[in-house]
Amino acid sequence: MIYVAGIDIGSAFSKSVIMAENKIIAHRVKPSGGNYKLTAEQVMEEALAEAKLTLKDIACTVATGYGAANVSFAQRTASDISCLARGVHYLYPDARTAIDIGGQFTRVLKLDGRGRAISFLLSEKCAAGSGRFLQVIARVLQIDLEDIGELSLRSKKRVDFSTGCAVFAESEAVSRIGEGAAKEDILAGLHRTLAAKIQAMVSRLGIEPGCAVVGGGAKDIGLVRSIEAGLDGRLLVPDEPQIVAALGAALLAGEKVSKGD
Amino acid sequence: MKGQYFAGVDIGSTMTKVVIMDEATLASVIGPTGPEHRKLANRVMEEALGRAKLAFDEITYVVATGYGRINVPFADRQITEISCHARGIAHLLPEVRTVIDIGGQDSKGIKLRDGRAVDFVMNDKCAAGTGRFLEVAAESLGVSLEEMGRLSLEAENRVEISSTCTVFAAQEVVAKLSEGAALADIIAGLHEAIATRIYGMVRRLKIEREVALTGGGAKNIGLVKALEARLGFPALLPPEPLLTGAIGAALLGRDIVKEAEEKGEKLKISPRRLTEATLFT
Repeated sequence: MIYVAGIDIGSAFSKSVIMAENKIIAHRVKPSGGNYKLTAEQVMEEALAEAKLTLKDIACTVATGYGAANVSFAQRTASDISCLARGVHYLYPDARTAIDIGGQFTRVLKLDGRGRAISFLLSEKCAAGSGRFLQVIARVLQIDLEDIGELSLRSKKRVDFSTGCAVFAESEAVSRIGEGAAKEDILAGLHRTLAAKIQAMVSRLGIEPGCAVVGGGAKDIGLVRSIEAGLDGRLLVPDEPQIVAALGAALLAGEKVSKGD
Repeated sequence: MKGQYFAGVDIGSTMTKVVIMDEATLASVIGPTGPEHRKLANRVMEEALGRAKLAFDEITYVVATGYGRINVPFADRQITEISCHARGIAHLLPEVRTVIDIGGQDSKGIKLRDGRAVDFVMNDKCAAGTGRFLEVAAESLGVSLEEMGRLSLEAENRVEISSTCTVFAAQEVVAKLSEGAALADIIAGLHEAIATRIYGMVRRLKIEREVALTGGGAKNIGLVKALEARLGFPALLPPEPLLTGAIGAALLGRDIVKEAEEKGEKLKISPRRLTEATLFT
């Protein structure tokens, strides 16, 4: 049995995936923290323990993400875009567009029928289009990031935000609380704001049928529904949206092994 | 216009300012804008009247401006901050052709001709390039906003801040601190970043000398120097940069009254009451 691994060190979370014979046998997600090197080792060790393996059993490890350079035990690094494309293609062979809502950036990519990225867009300059926006808002509303999605679906009254800026939205949310607006209505309003930013990126790139949404933001059901409202058709959401880039990295590791390089 | 008094009330996103003038400024009050604009407008007005030793019914005309101008129940007229800023600067610094106003939550450039605004640019959509950028960064660095200007003057090796977004810049300064960069060098980098952003916006107006800096940002010596370096020449500052809009509002009130008197028209005046209007009295 040949084992391969993919590690994705993101700005907020680190993920590991171990595969054997093109199947996921273990995976882990943990906060990246301040020491990427240590986190990389830990997130790998935990997945290895689950698979009852040691690092020696892994034929090839590919690292990706913001902190990829800190993964000392990886043989290769790969761009997050190519890993995302590969991971999305593995899960949804028919998907031609993918939205990755990460902690710092949102990426929108178009892929071909073989899991390669043809073109992509990044929201890098502004927090308003990324998961960072939701982190800021979760803090001011004093709720857990994980609860935002479900809570926002209970919204009954429309609250609109005049700003797309994460900093101004934070103050606007505070004023709305002061005016007596319900948390769920505020969250739904913020989801619309964030979704509008993401939809704008998608339309700039041009959406093709079969659109997957991945990354930590895809765990926010309220956000996913909000994005869907502005796009045609349902979005494809994996059970573990956070590990898609790590999965793609593991797939690339598998390709390297079978090619013998 | 002897015996006539004019009040200007400028409710900004961060600060509320009131001036009372006859020929000159008699009294001014600057206080923070809280969530209750109406109560605050009443309170600062009351304080300004006390300082000017005037009763409210001695005020001939009240003009409100700023982002909260509709929340001044006792104002006789609301006028945009662009017009009020232009009028204020034309009075304070008549040689000025371009105004750069750096407020708590927005920044603007105004082009003046013969004391009137002929063109303007404004950013109130993104916190970068506004006072809010420095406020958020100051919080991350654990220094007060007031200290920022002075501290930055001690910089020896300005740190480059690569993030445009306020949220990302706040993270970046924390990372720079942990890498061992000196506080003064980081703050100088922040001033450079905000100056670049503001200059880039105002440049679209074709900047003409003289240039005045107004708003809270003009009280930050580090930011003033960073903007002057961009301009390539010194800028002019009013004696109290925060009061520019309120002074302009009071002066526009005077203009309105003068014009009405000349035409023999009667102006509508709001009741001179400083109590908050409530349903149950």
